[in-house]
Amino acid sequence: MWTKITTMGIDALKGARRSSIAAALLMISIVPMVACEQSPSGSSPQGRTWAELPKLPDWSGVWEFDFRTGTKSESPPKLTPRADAESKAFVGGRARGENLQSVLANCVPPGLIGIMAQPYPIEFLFTPGKVTIAIETHSQMRRIFTDGRPHPEDPDPAWHGHSIGRWEGDTLVADTVALDPTAPLDDQTGPPGIRLSDKAHVVERIRAIDDAHLRITTKIEDPETFVEPWTIVRTYLRHRDWDIREYICQQNNRDAADEKGRPGFKLD
Amino acid sequence: MKATSVKTMKTSYVVFVATFLASTSAFSHHSAVMFDFGQDKQKQIEGVVKEFQWTNPHTWIVLAVKNEAGEIEEWGFEGMSPNWLGRHGWSKRTLEPGAEIAMGFAPLKDGRKGGFTLTVHLPDGTVLQELPAQSDPPTQTDR
Repeated sequence: MWTKITTMGIDALKGARRSSIAAALLMISIVPMVACEQSPSGSSPQGRTWAELPKLPDWSGVWEFDFRTGTKSESPPKLTPRADAESKAFVGGRARGENLQSVLANCVPPGLIGIMAQPYPIEFLFTPGKVTIAIETHSQMRRIFTDGRPHPEDPDPAWHGHSIGRWEGDTLVADTVALDPTAPLDDQTGPPGIRLSDKAHVVERIRAIDDAHLRITTKIEDPETFVEPWTIVRTYLRHRDWDIREYICQQNNRDAADEKGRPGFKLD
Repeated sequence: MKATSVKTMKTSYVVFVATFLASTSAFSHHSAVMFDFGQDKQKQIEGVVKEFQWTNPHTWIVLAVKNEAGEIEEWGFEGMSPNWLGRHGWSKRTLEPGAEIAMGFAPLKDGRKGGFTLTVHLPDGTVLQELPAQSDPPTQTDR
């Protein structure tokens, strides 16, 4: 599910409930950030030592994916013939009562793209040379190495891949490769039934756009799935008084689906 | 417990737009395909709480309901998770065994005795929602 981003859409993202004065102030405040982003990362504090950590932006509290604005993109992704055929086959299965659930219903966590758009919050933890994202849904953890290391030459595939990052002003740019192609995308990002391949390369630009909102712009390159890079935008709401909770999906799951994605529902 | 039949939801019980739920990622873990969220399909029911399971990925209410024949039937209702409800006014003590409640719910499409909880009406008049209405402000606490 995607919606076209227009100027109106961006304004709505920033909160139609705000006054126009606040919106104007917001626009003004963005200008220096853009200028900052253009500076080379070498001049930005990278948080590689304890002494440098206080120079990083304040992303304290936890951040809730704003499901009202959802996952936005300028257009649907242009699928390769292989991905298009897989998506059509997946949708075709629904007419037979299949593929109505994904493996998520069986408590398999979504991979990188989907895990960042769940109804439970995420938390950013800064330690020297590393940004850790604690993800409440499925009690997941992402690690983005900001110590200057490159990706491994032959990384093992993983649900969240291998991520390295650098700070460009107040923006954390996270670069991810080695996504496990068996990890489900999620149920709501992109055409149904598509998966990313092990060739996928994901670049997330993460920035607090004001005191209450964080935005992640995610560019996904995957020559086996998309004809050209696909960019999605998600917004998160800050909650300073929430803590990350435990989430064990297998505790009492009554919704497991069968191998064809036919829904189940255990009443007793 | 008085005898009760399962009634089609009154307008006053419909406190949120079902399409909102179906069209958002408020359901992280599975699609809502098993339930009928159509506004004209939503039901209300009264009964006695037998069990309230404060568990992931979903909470669960076991409700003892007296049918028209005077027999006690057991119904089961899935709800949002403790992680969600705990941030929206609920706790593990919200529903104690023995509490007489009324509920609004989206029924199972397969006709079995269960569904997805929409609202819970407590004896003291408190009405608890499972999900916010589309028109509600975000849960943002410090904007």
